[in-house]
Amino acid sequence: MVADIKAMTAEMARDPDSLVFLQLGEALRVLGNLDAAVKVAMAGCERHSDHADAHDLLARVFVDAGNFDAAHEEWERALQLEERHVGAHKGMGFLLYRLDELDSALDHLETALATDPTDESVVQALRTVRAAAEPSEADITAARASGEIRADVFAGFDGAEEGILLVDGQGRVLGGGVRNASGEDVAAEVAAYLAGAAQEAERAARLLELGVWRAIAVEAPDGHLHVSQPRQGTFLLIKRDRAVPPGRVALLAQRAAAAARTWLQAEER
Amino acid sequence: MTSRIGRALDGVTRVRGLQGAMLVSLDDGLVVADALMEGVRGNAMAALAASLANRLSLASASSGIGAPQFLHLQADHGVLLAVPGPEVTLLVCVGGADVNVGLARLEMLRAVEKMG
Amino acid sequence: MKSTRAIEPWVLEPLERFVVEAGARLTLVMTPSGQVIAQHGFARAVDVMAAAALGAGIIASTSELARMLEQAPFSALNQKGESHGIFLSGFDSVRGQMLVLVVYGAESSVGLVQLFFEELVEELRAAAPPPPEHRAVLAADFERDLNESLATLFR
Repeated sequence: MVADIKAMTAEMARDPDSLVFLQLGEALRVLGNLDAAVKVAMAGCERHSDHADAHDLLARVFVDAGNFDAAHEEWERALQLEERHVGAHKGMGFLLYRLDELDSALDHLETALATDPTDESVVQALRTVRAAAEPSEADITAARASGEIRADVFAGFDGAEEGILLVDGQGRVLGGGVRNASGEDVAAEVAAYLAGAAQEAERAARLLELGVWRAIAVEAPDGHLHVSQPRQGTFLLIKRDRAVPPGRVALLAQRAAAAARTWLQAEER
Repeated sequence: MTSRIGRALDGVTRVRGLQGAMLVSLDDGLVVADALMEGVRGNAMAALAASLANRLSLASASSGIGAPQFLHLQADHGVLLAVPGPEVTLLVCVGGADVNVGLARLEMLRAVEKMG
Repeated sequence: MKSTRAIEPWVLEPLERFVVEAGARLTLVMTPSGQVIAQHGFARAVDVMAAAALGAGIIASTSELARMLEQAPFSALNQKGESHGIFLSGFDSVRGQMLVLVVYGAESSVGLVQLFFEELVEELRAAAPPPPEHRAVLAADFERDLNESLATLFR
């Protein structure tokens, strides 16, 4: 590591415009040499002010130094430059989680996962934030009593909270819910994967000249999935046991899609 | 292509409305063996079907129902169907919008059995 | 900052499309001598130069192997690692032979890369303007051109 730092420092001296400062700053940060890491990252941001990775690096150094406000500013800047920057979304997710702004944290982490579905650290972060965001039964009862919870998009549908999910094109949950066999809320994770799958369905149908895709049905050992598009760029997932015939799942999907369209129109007003 | 796989694919393509069947490497999205009508883009079908199956597997597994055993993409002018094949492969079929999906599914599952 | 850059502007749009469709993490478009025409995703000039030299070297050596075996040159090479794959291929255009090196991650596949590589080739062939008139190349020109190219690729 030290040899690497020496080599990178030499390269920076040789070519001050080099982007090697990104690796150098990160290496210094990992070693805990935060003063040097701040200097490298700030100099990098000055020279490459339109480079999102530079601001992401500086934000990470600020976080390690405990300067969360400055980190927030840098990640905001990174997102202005590159709106789907995974590192910046992860970072914002972390900062907002610290501030207990869990919904906003989830928005950022879901966008990060939709951008890079293979990033395990985001999946893990989503689980943590989701678990923290889960309201207690007492909170739900109190909120229902006070009318704080609005009627959900799929109110009245069987399994509305564990097997019907409405997702936007960026993989964010709009309504409904999905739970796995252990009863865990997996809506955020499923939503992120679902958006990626639906976009791939659109591309496959287009390039194979099949026309506009209407639905995807998936049979698996422990259940069925039915994915449809109630409106351009919005995806609906129905999850049911294997015991429910696929035809019935498709009918339920049609009814849920109609409810989703009505709800989306009302939301826009 | 071994004759066993070729015969199995030919059997599937006898289902009315199917325009082709293909065995695809799931990791690579490449054609292993095919029986396609003229005009079907084999390489596109392989790459896109594998990618779609992989993405749907993530959604399916995370929702707690396990790995997909049958996929059916329904579009205005046709369908794309897939079942897991031997080893890490996928048996993929493409057909018109009027294809009997139930029959195609049965023939695809039978073909995979024959492939061993 | 956009992470796709091209020295020849007609390469940019097809390359940007390719990167999105194929899910490429790194891409180099270069000549058989290793001169870089466009790049996506590289952070350091030194990496671009090394990758271009290695890519061009691999194509040169496999072409020579094919010649020794009295076969047509290999059309593409693909190597898959645990988390990344490398795809290397070439094509002819009015600007001469061009090579493309692609590094892709687990969210893509060689099938997707190959599929959209075919489209990239078609689009680049259609967009390529005729080559500029030949002029004598001096060592000083080469050095200056190289530095200008690197400056463009990492602006």
